[in-house]
Amino acid sequence: MERNTLQIRHLFLRAGFGLSPGEWQRWKLASLEQAVEHLFSEAANAKQLQLTTENGLTEADKKERRKADRKLLMRQNADWVAHMASGTSNALLEKMSLFWHGHFACIQRQPKLAAQQLRTIRQHALGSFRDLVHAISKDPAMIRFLNNQQNKKAKPNENFARELMELFTIGRGNYTEQDIKEAARAFTGWSSTLLGKYKFRRRQHDFGPKVFMGHKGRFNGDEIIDIILEQPATARFIVRKIYRYFVNEQIDEARVEQLAETFYADDYHIGRLMRRIFTSSWFYAPVNIGRKIKSPIELMVGIMRTLQVEFDSSLTLIFIEKALGQILFRPPNVAGWPGGKSWIDNSSLMLRLNLVGYLFQATDVNFRTKAEFEAPKRNKAMKKIKAEVNLQPLLNQFSNYKYSELVAAMSTYLLPPSSSIDPDWLRQFTANGHAEDQVKSVCLRLMSLPEYQLC
Amino acid sequence: MKNSALASTSLLVPAFLRGFSSQKIYNSRTGRNLVVVQLSGGNDGLNTIVPYRNDIYYRSRPTLGIKTDQVLTVSDQLGFHPALAPLRSLYDQGLMSIINSVGYPNPDRSHFRSMDIWHTASDSNQYLSTGWIGRYLDSACPKDQPHYALEVDDSLSLAMKGHQRSGFAMSNPNALKKTTDNRFLQAVAQHHDHHDHDEVAYLYKTMIDTQSSADYLFKQSKVHRSKGSYPRTPFAKDLKQIAELITADTDTRIYYLSLGGFDTHINQGNQQQRLLKTYAEAMAAFVEDLKSNGLLDDTLILTFSEFGRRVSQNASNGTDHGTANNLFLMGGQLRQPGFFNGAPNLSKLDKGDLIYEIDFRQIYATILEDWLDCPAQGVLPGSFEKLALV
Repeated sequence: MERNTLQIRHLFLRAGFGLSPGEWQRWKLASLEQAVEHLFSEAANAKQLQLTTENGLTEADKKERRKADRKLLMRQNADWVAHMASGTSNALLEKMSLFWHGHFACIQRQPKLAAQQLRTIRQHALGSFRDLVHAISKDPAMIRFLNNQQNKKAKPNENFARELMELFTIGRGNYTEQDIKEAARAFTGWSSTLLGKYKFRRRQHDFGPKVFMGHKGRFNGDEIIDIILEQPATARFIVRKIYRYFVNEQIDEARVEQLAETFYADDYHIGRLMRRIFTSSWFYAPVNIGRKIKSPIELMVGIMRTLQVEFDSSLTLIFIEKALGQILFRPPNVAGWPGGKSWIDNSSLMLRLNLVGYLFQATDVNFRTKAEFEAPKRNKAMKKIKAEVNLQPLLNQFSNYKYSELVAAMSTYLLPPSSSIDPDWLRQFTANGHAEDQVKSVCLRLMSLPEYQLC
Repeated sequence: MKNSALASTSLLVPAFLRGFSSQKIYNSRTGRNLVVVQLSGGNDGLNTIVPYRNDIYYRSRPTLGIKTDQVLTVSDQLGFHPALAPLRSLYDQGLMSIINSVGYPNPDRSHFRSMDIWHTASDSNQYLSTGWIGRYLDSACPKDQPHYALEVDDSLSLAMKGHQRSGFAMSNPNALKKTTDNRFLQAVAQHHDHHDHDEVAYLYKTMIDTQSSADYLFKQSKVHRSKGSYPRTPFAKDLKQIAELITADTDTRIYYLSLGGFDTHINQGNQQQRLLKTYAEAMAAFVEDLKSNGLLDDTLILTFSEFGRRVSQNASNGTDHGTANNLFLMGGQLRQPGFFNGAPNLSKLDKGDLIYEIDFRQIYATILEDWLDCPAQGVLPGSFEKLALV
């Protein structure tokens, strides 16, 4: 594979969700500089993502409303995924938002608040981490999820203050239990209204003096956040996580230290940090290419882009998310999705390997997801994955190749560079004759390989 | 058919599977089994094991309390919900231990979070991405077999996920076989030679393990047909399958299964009655089946739920999420059959909820060390005092 093509593929997989066949044609021979420029300018000009937030019920009882809200959350989930997969999406912005969505992990119950939080995240995803933390600490969904509604002067609730430090900013080992207590006091009264707006409840706020990380003062929550951001350990913690997500699960300590220093000196500017990563030569080193196990969302969005998949209902998509272990707006807990090898067990792997076969309706799925805790009965098993696949863009790119060249060309597009597929061996599993059938069957086989799970 | 499935992949089959003969010798096993039964949704423990002499119980549950004359009295303080009648004989034979007031500090009343805590054995403000059984698999104690711990389900619970190794999900051997009977993927397994990095090797190993375990478990599932009479519920069917695999001396030592629907906020009476009946009838059949095959002394069954429910009933004839709960152990080697400890204290509550007396991780620690012969340290996050259970 040509070195540049390989790098382009790597860039778009990590900074986005991979390329559709049409985009592949457009970018595979472009320069890296152009491609990086394109990703950032596209993100800078992104429009707001419109998610439906009205469940259509005006006067309904609590149970009905809850049911409608659950449905609406699924719809929002599916809409966001469809947007990630669409040809007009801002791949880098969505990928970065997905990262922060997992970082500021928040189990959502109210569609309106979920959409609002995602808007906040998208607004700052490539901007200033400082702005992002300040905004999230005033985000009603987060305030409710981490019990800051109950954080009052007379009886502080430490949940938000603890997770802010442990998971969102500086990480364990860099603060004391006393720091948590003091920070919790500073966030007392940070609440939200019934309508889902941030509200500072003055009477519940503790205006008294606090001692936090060696500083003394009558701190409020914003000042606490700024003190946390003053610590270089915060830059290190965030960069480590970004490095593991975008570059390699195995940390290169020296590299991370260097990046963290610049990130800190640059007042936590996320976009410039990402640009630094994507324009570094080490980002394109073989050790960083094709080594990451795709998350379920990355896998699905990639497949959707390649095969132009349209699911017949958001339920189908949610089924796949659930079976593979990543439901948007529903992280397992405030620590988010652990990622890496933890995506893979015997059940999720077989489903992943068979997924494209299911989309081509080659075989039945017959998979039962676990029921909700509230559900009285087992879920019904999913029999078939109902979706439309449009192979035309793929055919446009690949139907003119001879068989042996076809396997090589499609491998370059679909698989990491180290996976060499012997066309003569593969021939026994692919269709002969008509070009369309050949493209389809080679595509099915390559996308069923374990290597396809990597990016 | 007998050997062909294995023969075709013989080069890939791990050493422990090679040289297997399909002739299994019954009832000669040396290994111990653990069966974990999860009641999802938060089973109402107070209406399961009823404090039928306690006025606070009846005052707190004016319509929902189980009437004294319906309770199956087993001690002078506590009795069974009438739907647990099938378990009565297990109790009488000393095959069941009931442990009251099991929980953990700073209890969380969310299903997800509390189940997370039970699965990972974490503290309530700690987030772990691996489960206690998964970490047991990671330890040096069990044999390195992909199906050493088996969950009867299509997907795997967090409890079963470790860092390096995980449990194995299989709702039934036929269905699993279908997902691995992919001619292409089987050929891929044979065709690949070397892997230049850890991740791709991990994917191939998991795929090949799944293929060979699917073949093995399919074969094992045909070795023994249970003669026990099980009810016709999906839950009972799962247990029957486990009994058949245990009887066939399968190389699986830990089994995991769930029964859901216990989130009884509204009109609890009928719903819980139905679920407890499903549970008790199936468990009685399962224990009887194992006993008749002489396997009960080698088996320990743990039943838990993510939390109990509030002491007072709510306005919808149901109960809301609570905290501490009772937990059951069944098997032939219980050190303290019957009630392990006293009835929960209803006069000393924390905001209307029971206060735990026994940390569930003490039970895990005991199972790990005294049943599975594995140091709990390293598997559990912290050290927990063991109990005289098995």
